[in-house]
Amino acid sequence: MALPAMRPLGCLWSLMRAYEPLPMINRRFISTAYSKRPEKLPLPQDMPPQFLSQIPLRFRPDPDRQPLKIYPAPPSARKACKDPIGAVTESQLAVLDPKGERKAMFDYRRNPRSVKPGDIVRVTFKNGDPFNGVVLSIKLRGIETSFLLRNELTRVAVEMSVKVFSPNVNSVEIVQRSEKKRRRARLYFMRDRKHDRRSVENIVANYVRQKKAFLGGGNRRR
Amino acid sequence: MLTKRCTQKLPAHLYTSTPSRITMSPRLGLQLPLWGSLITPISVRSFGIRSLTPPKPSRYNVGPGLPILESSPEAALRRKANSLPLRAGAITIKKGMTAIFDPETGKRTPCTVLQLDRVEVLSHKTVSKHGYYAVQVGAGWKHPRNVTKALLGHFSAHGSSPKRHIFEFRVKDEAGLLPIGQSIEAGWFQEGQFVDTRSNTKGKGFAGVMKRHGFGGQDRSHGVSLTHRSMGSSGPGQGGGSRVYPGKKMAGNMGNTQNTVQNLKILKVDSANGIVVVSGAVSGPKGCVVRIQDAIKKPWPEVPVEGEEAVKGEATAAA
Amino acid sequence: MIQLKTLLSCIDNSGASIVECVNVLKKKRPATIGQSPIQSPPLRGRTRINQMLCAGDRIVVVVQKQRSAGSEATTAAALANKVRRGDIRHAVVVRVKKELQRPDGSLVRFGDNACVLVNKSGDPIGTRMNGVVGQELRNKKWSKILSLAPVHV
Repeated sequence: MALPAMRPLGCLWSLMRAYEPLPMINRRFISTAYSKRPEKLPLPQDMPPQFLSQIPLRFRPDPDRQPLKIYPAPPSARKACKDPIGAVTESQLAVLDPKGERKAMFDYRRNPRSVKPGDIVRVTFKNGDPFNGVVLSIKLRGIETSFLLRNELTRVAVEMSVKVFSPNVNSVEIVQRSEKKRRRARLYFMRDRKHDRRSVENIVANYVRQKKAFLGGGNRRR
Repeated sequence: MLTKRCTQKLPAHLYTSTPSRITMSPRLGLQLPLWGSLITPISVRSFGIRSLTPPKPSRYNVGPGLPILESSPEAALRRKANSLPLRAGAITIKKGMTAIFDPETGKRTPCTVLQLDRVEVLSHKTVSKHGYYAVQVGAGWKHPRNVTKALLGHFSAHGSSPKRHIFEFRVKDEAGLLPIGQSIEAGWFQEGQFVDTRSNTKGKGFAGVMKRHGFGGQDRSHGVSLTHRSMGSSGPGQGGGSRVYPGKKMAGNMGNTQNTVQNLKILKVDSANGIVVVSGAVSGPKGCVVRIQDAIKKPWPEVPVEGEEAVKGEATAAA
Repeated sequence: MIQLKTLLSCIDNSGASIVECVNVLKKKRPATIGQSPIQSPPLRGRTRINQMLCAGDRIVVVVQKQRSAGSEATTAAALANKVRRGDIRHAVVVRVKKELQRPDGSLVRFGDNACVLVNKSGDPIGTRMNGVVGQELRNKKWSKILSLAPVHV
């Protein structure tokens, strides 16, 4: 429509504008605009029964109907205990680790004196067997917190993942701290031949000997 | 249809006086003396378990004193009598898994933590009215404005707050019907007893036959193209009727179906926090609804007193 | 996880150095050492073949490589070699690479797969062993092997 030849006719639009339809509101009757809203009339109380079918179901009189009573909810166990797994863990830790020493010993994110990946550690089990190794990783998982030890026994690599809070673990001792600061939390590269630490038995044997001497000539045995 | 309507409009005292006879008689077509005198025998609407194809009365197998047919609701109840738990269960929420160590033996047991939240008895299902015994139990809380008027009326009528989860627990007989409004605490279960858990498995979406049914798939090569994971043939051809048999295993939606894990031991009960710890795994993601009830394949737990008294005692002990 | 064709090192002085598994006895799954302590609930639906639910440990092996005798006293060494290359023998798995779970949840993993040759009645053929073995042998009537081993973990 908008041909260039029609452009001079554009001035006619301004003439047309006067004849545009007015907005709707101006068309309302003045009585409508200024009169009050009609009030809803209540339904007649004594309506003849033959008319009852004409009114909506919810307005029909029903002598049996009682108002819906909404009862309040009882106290919630879910609100009282937001972390049930934490509660179960706490109740177990109270038995397995009452003083929280073991927890602090492996909480390497918060405790600077804890065991850290790269340390050499000696674990003694309930049946008397020790296991020594380099800590490759520490998994903080509540009651299932565990650490992974790697060692070489009779020229065979042995890895053992030990649960920190297991009742079978009698004691955990740090034999030697890591020489340099480790930049990784998981030292799985130490499984490679190039980075393998090989056996740590000598270091641990030295430590045990020194400890015995310190404790008094090997009379006391841990 | 008209006859059914008529029987429903019968005076109430007829139902109350001979409820068991009424429910069992019409399907069998037996001539009952009471009914014979009043009206001609007509079928009465029955509720609950019933087969879709009701037994046809035989011309020759009619008369009093004959054994009750095995496809009747009564027979179904009799069959189930030994495999239905004596008492109701509870609705719980799966909170996740952890492990429990035994301080003496050092044994570690993986376990699932379940939590009860405001579990209350809403209503009953009875043999006389519904054809079976069950306890309807609700748990959680839902804002009343999100509950339909009909359901709100149900809660209101039984004096309970609007519940988020509603389930039925079938019980063997009337003795298992807890009073309405009774709250079921974690102490309802005893440490060491066994339970069955019901919950929906994790949904896997639309899965192929290899994942869904463990089919072997097809070769990577040897001329196979584009159908390495498809199901292959779906059945015999002309000899088999040239059709796919019903129940053929095919690709489709996997998971998100109800699964029952039987005989899980209860390791720990914490009434104050509503925690029940069961051994092993329970189907479904964290936060799913898990229904637990006494294991049907183990001896029933020895409840100290009647169910009602026990719960009361524990409630007072907790308070 | 020892199965058909697995090569294991033999750690006793029976004369075998490397053996190959040709059969796993008394079970349909790969062999390991010891019994898996975790009594998992019975699997519903399909079970995977590789699932280690319970572990057997006795296998049948073929001796692939003999332990080379030293230069001196070859005859004595040959006499000491109770088995020869190509012999089919029974063996007991003592170390596995696949991690084992203990009842308290701890895991043990060895650097290699190893076994000890036994005769049909279950007595070890060799008289000495060199190398660490798993403690799981204790529960499985192999305490004789355990006592021969220098270290057990």
